[in-house]
Amino acid sequence: MRRRFMLPIIAAAAIYAVPALASSEDCSSIAGDAVLSARTPQVDLYDAPNGKRIKSVDQDKFPTCLAVTQRAPNMMLQVTVDGAPVWVPPHMVNYRLAGKKPAICRNLAMGGNDTKVGALGEDCPQKAGTP
Amino acid sequence: MTSPALNSPLASVTRSWERARRPNRDHVEKLKSRVPYWFVALFLFAFSVLQIELNPFGFSDLTQRYTQDISDLLITGPFLYPTTGREQISVAVIDEQTLHGLQMPWPWNYGAHARALDAIRAFKPKAVVVDFLFVDMRADESIAELVDEIARYRKAGIPIYFEGGNDLPFGEAPIRPEIARTGVPILDPTIEVYDGVVRQYPTTGYCYGTNGLVAGQCPSLALRLYKDLYKDHPPAPLHDKIELVWGTRTARFNVKFNSGPLPCNDDATFLVRIYRAFFDKQSAVGRCPYNNEIPVEALMVGDNDRDLNALLPGHVVFYGGALQGAQDKSFSPVNGEQPNVFVHAMALDNLITYGGRPQQNVMTLAGYTFSNNSAQAIAILPIILILSYMHRRRVRARERRVDRSEHGALYDWFMDKGIENLWHWLAFLLAIGIGLLLASWAGLSVANWAQDVFLSVELVAMLLVGAPDSFWGYLHHVAGGNPGDTFPEATS
Repeated sequence: MRRRFMLPIIAAAAIYAVPALASSEDCSSIAGDAVLSARTPQVDLYDAPNGKRIKSVDQDKFPTCLAVTQRAPNMMLQVTVDGAPVWVPPHMVNYRLAGKKPAICRNLAMGGNDTKVGALGEDCPQKAGTP
Repeated sequence: MTSPALNSPLASVTRSWERARRPNRDHVEKLKSRVPYWFVALFLFAFSVLQIELNPFGFSDLTQRYTQDISDLLITGPFLYPTTGREQISVAVIDEQTLHGLQMPWPWNYGAHARALDAIRAFKPKAVVVDFLFVDMRADESIAELVDEIARYRKAGIPIYFEGGNDLPFGEAPIRPEIARTGVPILDPTIEVYDGVVRQYPTTGYCYGTNGLVAGQCPSLALRLYKDLYKDHPPAPLHDKIELVWGTRTARFNVKFNSGPLPCNDDATFLVRIYRAFFDKQSAVGRCPYNNEIPVEALMVGDNDRDLNALLPGHVVFYGGALQGAQDKSFSPVNGEQPNVFVHAMALDNLITYGGRPQQNVMTLAGYTFSNNSAQAIAILPIILILSYMHRRRVRARERRVDRSEHGALYDWFMDKGIENLWHWLAFLLAIGIGLLLASWAGLSVANWAQDVFLSVELVAMLLVGAPDSFWGYLHHVAGGNPGDTFPEATS
C-alpha cells in the first residue's frame, strides 16, 4: 500500500528531473562552443593559452556549462570562471564544439613527405598493405 | 753407425729447417693420409676460434648482423613474433605536425610537457616513461608545474619514469635538480647502435640518485620497467645484451592512421618477400613503426577517441619526440629510420612477449653463462668433432681405394664429387640441428647460430681442400716423419 503511494511521487520526480539533468549535460542553453563539465579530478586554469597556471580547481567545484569565449590554436579554451577570463586545457574538461573538430592524421610511412590532416585514425585514406 | 755430430740437437734442427724450406712432396703427400683425428679437430677448432675472436675484415660481425636482419624480416618478424607486448605498449610522440598543429614551437616549456603528461594521465595508463632529457638549466618558472605533475602521478598511483643524461659535454647534471629532488626514478636511455641500425639492447646502465649519477650498475631502461611493472613474470638473470627481435606486422592503428603517399608495408607473397629480403631489402622493410604511435596533439586537444581509449588505459606509455634534426633516430632491421623512443618500446615489447627471457647474445649451459664468442665456439665444437670424424673416415677410405684400385678412375671421381656434395649438406644440417638444440636448451641466439652455420661451411671447404691433412703432412715431414714407418693411425 505504502509502495503504491510512493511510486507516483518517484515517477513525478523523475519526469521533473530528467530534463534538468539533460540540460546540464549538453548545456543546450549555450549556443556555440561550451565547456560542459570537468573531466579530470582537477582542472588547471591558465592565464594564457601557453601561459602560467593560475590555480587548480577540484572537479566538484568546477562550474558546469561555461561558454567558450575563445579557442587558441593549441585548443586551449577560454572561459569565464568567477568573473575572470581563464584558459583551460581541453583534456581536463568535457567540451562541445559547434563545428566539426579538425581531424588528425599522420604520414607515418617514412620515405614519404606528404602530410594530411584528418580524424585521429578515422577518415584517413587507406593504402594497400593493411594487415 | 752414425757420427755423434749427426745426432746432435743442432744437426737435427738444421735438418728440420732444411725439410721445412725444401719439403719432399712425395713424403708430405703420403704423410697427409695419416692425419690423426685429434689433429683435424684441433686444427678446425683453432681456425674457428681465430675467425670468431679476430673477426677478420669484420666478417663475423657482418654475418651475424646480416643473418639477424634476414631472420627478422623473413621468419621471426612476420611469422613467429606474437603481438603480446604490443598490446600493452603505446608511444605518444611530439612530432612536427603536433608542433605545427598546436602552434607550439620547439622546445616546449616545462608547463607544456606537464600538460601533455597530464593528458596521458587522464587515460589511466599502467606507467609512463618520459623520453626527453631535461638537462638544460634554462630559466623557466613552469618547471614547478612539471614537478606538480609528478606528484599527481604519484597520487594517482601511476609510475612515471624520467631519463638521465650521461657523458654530458660540460659536466651538466644528468637531469634538472628540481625533477631529481622529487625522487622520481631516473633511467639510463643508452641504446646499442651498430652502423646506424639497432639490433641489440643493453641489460645494464648507469644509476642515478637525487644528486645525479651514482656509482654502480643498474638495469637498463626497458629491463627496469619490466622488473617494476611485470612482477608476476620476473626476468631471468640477463647478461651482456638483448638480441632484439623486431616485429614486422605494423600495428593496425598505425596502418589506419597513416595517410601519407606510401603504405606502411608493401603487399607481398612469401616468395616475393624472400626475393626482396635478399635482393631488394629496402622494399621489404616496413615504413611505419611496429608499436602503436599516438600523436601528442590528439591528447592535448582532449580527444575522447575510441582508439585512444583502447591504446592508453592500462598501457605502458612512452612519451617521446619524433622531431627533425633532433639526432634521436636510428634504423631497425625491419624499418626505415624511426625515433629512438621506439627502440625502448621494442625492448620492453621483447621482454613482455618472451616473459622476461628475451633472446640474448650469450648462452647459458648448466647454470654457467658464456659470452657471445664463447657461445659460438662451444656451439661449433660438436660440429667440428663430427666433421673431423667423418673426414678421417673419408681420408682412410680414399687411401684404401687408391691402394686396391678396384674401380675405375671415373667411378672414383663420381664418388668423390658425390661425397663432396653430401659433405656440404651434412655440415649445413649439422650446424642447423645443433644450433636448434642449443637455441632451445641454452638460449643460443639466431645471430650466433647463423655465424656457426657459416663457419661450418668454411670448415667443410677446408676439409675438402684437405687443409688439415696437408698441414699435418708438412709438420710431420718437418719433424722427421717417414712415410715408410707404420703408425697406429694408418692401420686403424
